[in-house]
This record gives sequence, C-alpha cells and structure tokens, in this order.
Amino acid sequence: MSEARIEAYARALAEIASAEGSLDTVEKELYAVARAVESNDQLRATLTDESIPAARRQAVVEALVGSAANTTAQLVGLVVGAGRGRDLPAIIDKIVKRASNAQNKEVAEVRSAVALTTDQQSRLAAALERATGKAVNLKVVVDPSVLGGLIATVGDEVIDGSVRTRLDQVKSRL
Amino acid sequence: MMRLLQVLAAEDPSQTHHWLLPETAEIIYGGIAALIIFAALYKFALPAAKKALAARTERIQKELDSAANTRSTAEAEASNIRRAVGDIASERARLLAEADQQAALLLSEGRARIAAEVADLETKAEADIAAARARSSDELRAQIARIASVAAQNAVGATLTDGTKQELIEGFISSVGGAR
Repeated sequence: MSEARIEAYARALAEIASAEGSLDTVEKELYAVARAVESNDQLRATLTDESIPAARRQAVVEALVGSAANTTAQLVGLVVGAGRGRDLPAIIDKIVKRASNAQNKEVAEVRSAVALTTDQQSRLAAALERATGKAVNLKVVVDPSVLGGLIATVGDEVIDGSVRTRLDQVKSRL
Repeated sequence: MMRLLQVLAAEDPSQTHHWLLPETAEIIYGGIAALIIFAALYKFALPAAKKALAARTERIQKELDSAANTRSTAEAEASNIRRAVGDIASERARLLAEADQQAALLLSEGRARIAAEVADLETKAEADIAAARARSSDELRAQIARIASVAAQNAVGATLTDGTKQELIEGFISSVGGAR
C-alpha cells in the first residue's frame, strides 16, 4: 500500500477513535495488536490471506483483541475486512505517532525480554526523556529474543543495552 | 705389245688362223671401238661419276655435321641435366635445412608452451591448495565461532535468571537516566 493510503487509513481510524473519546486506550491496544501481528507469522498469514472470507478474518480479530474495547476490535476488523491486513502494523504505527504528536510526544518503543512494572515504565520514560530531551510516549514490547536488558528506539535514535546485541557482537568478533 | 704386234705381222696369211690371236683387222676395229668406248666413258660417265661421288661426299659430310650437332646438343643437354641434378640436390639440401629449422623452431615453441602451461598449472594448483587451506581454515574458524556462540548463548541463558534480568533493566534505566 502506498504511504498516502496508509496515512489516510491512519487519519480516518484516529478520527474515529477520537470521536469515540477513547483514542488513548485504543492507541495502546492497537499498538499491542500491531506487535502481535508482527511477531506471529501464522496470525499475519491468516489476516492477509485473501482466500479466507472477510467474516472469518474479522472473527479472528475479535478473538485476538478479546477484552479490548469494542472500538479497537471494530477498527482492526475494518482494516482486515478491507483487505489491508498486510498494512495493519504500519497503519497502527501511524495512528500511534499521530496520537503522540498530538500530545507533543515522541514514540519510544522499548523491547524487553520480560514485562516491565508500572514503576519501571515511568522511571524508564523519565530516563529516556532526560536522555533525548523529548517527551516520550513509551511503548513496551515483550520480546524474548532480547534475552536480557532493553532496546529503546526514540525516533531515529536507538539505545541498545540488550544481551542479544552483546552476544551478536561476541559472535561477530569470533 | 710391240713384240706381240711383230709376231702377228710376221705371220703368214696363207696359213690357217692362230688359235689364240684374233685377226689383224679385228684387232684394229676392236682397238678403235675400245678407244671410242673409253672416250665416251671419259666424256659422259666420268663427270656423272664425279658428281655422284661429290654428292655422296657432301651427304656424308652433312651426316657428319649432323652427328656433330647432335653430339653437341646431347652434350649441352647432358650438361643441363647435370646442372639440374645439381640444382635439385641443392634445393633438396635447402628444403631439408629449412625443414630442420622449422622443426627446431616448433620444438622450441612447443617446449616453451609446455613449460608455460606447466607453470600455469603449478600456479593454479598452488592457488587451489592455498584456497582450500584458507577455506578449511575459514570453515573451521566459522564452526568454532558457531560452537562458541551457541556455548556463550547457552551459558548466558543459564545465568539469566529473573533477578539478573531485573538487574539489567534497572542498570539500563540508571545508565540512560544518568546519560545527561
């Protein structure tokens, strides 16, 4: 899909979420959905397979979103039903970025091997704001391949303190 | 002769004719006839005989000249043939020498080419051996790296307890927060 079309979908979905008055919640849930689609090949294949009826793909989305707000399930179902499941992560990233920009924040994606506590998230956000000089909208992604430590991406800046990267460096040196 | 004529003249005519000698008149007529015949022969036959002899002499001379010419021509041809034989021998010698020279050149070039090919093959073989050695070395190094990497990952995985992970997270937050 072209960048303009992704932008148009993101703008439309963000407007819907804003109109529903749940942009903040929807944005967080959509972000979790996008990372799940990215990390799960089978899920991604199911949502992008045009031979599977749209109703069935929407049912998969409802099963995935589960306890998510009704608006989130409807928005994801709308994208998948329109045959744009392949672009779902990109559309959601645009939505998150738009929502962050609306609050004058930069999206800070943090990958961790284990889930972070609320306290850790708030301290990490504060640390990143100090390090980058920008207000950040923290998004934590649990990624076991990180092994240990954290990888933080704020805009174009990457702060890598993961065990995975250290191991890769050792492997490369070997 | 005169004695014979005297005997004949002294003979008695009344006697019978001598059994050996002819009659006098007959001798006279016969002598005259003989003279006439000799004169005629001298007059007519002698020139013809001389002419025939001269013609025969001329023919023989011509044949001698022709034979001399033929001999001269034959000697010239023999000379030409001898010279041609000599030319053929020298040409054969020249061709043989040229063939020897070309053979020597071909042999020299062939040796040089074979030497170059052998050198190329040796260089290629040495390069192949070096490449194989490097490849083996690289493969061995890569295998060691893979094993070491897996071992390191397993060792790290075994030591990464939940507590260690939390310490790493706290360390990251502290280091990022203290960066400025």
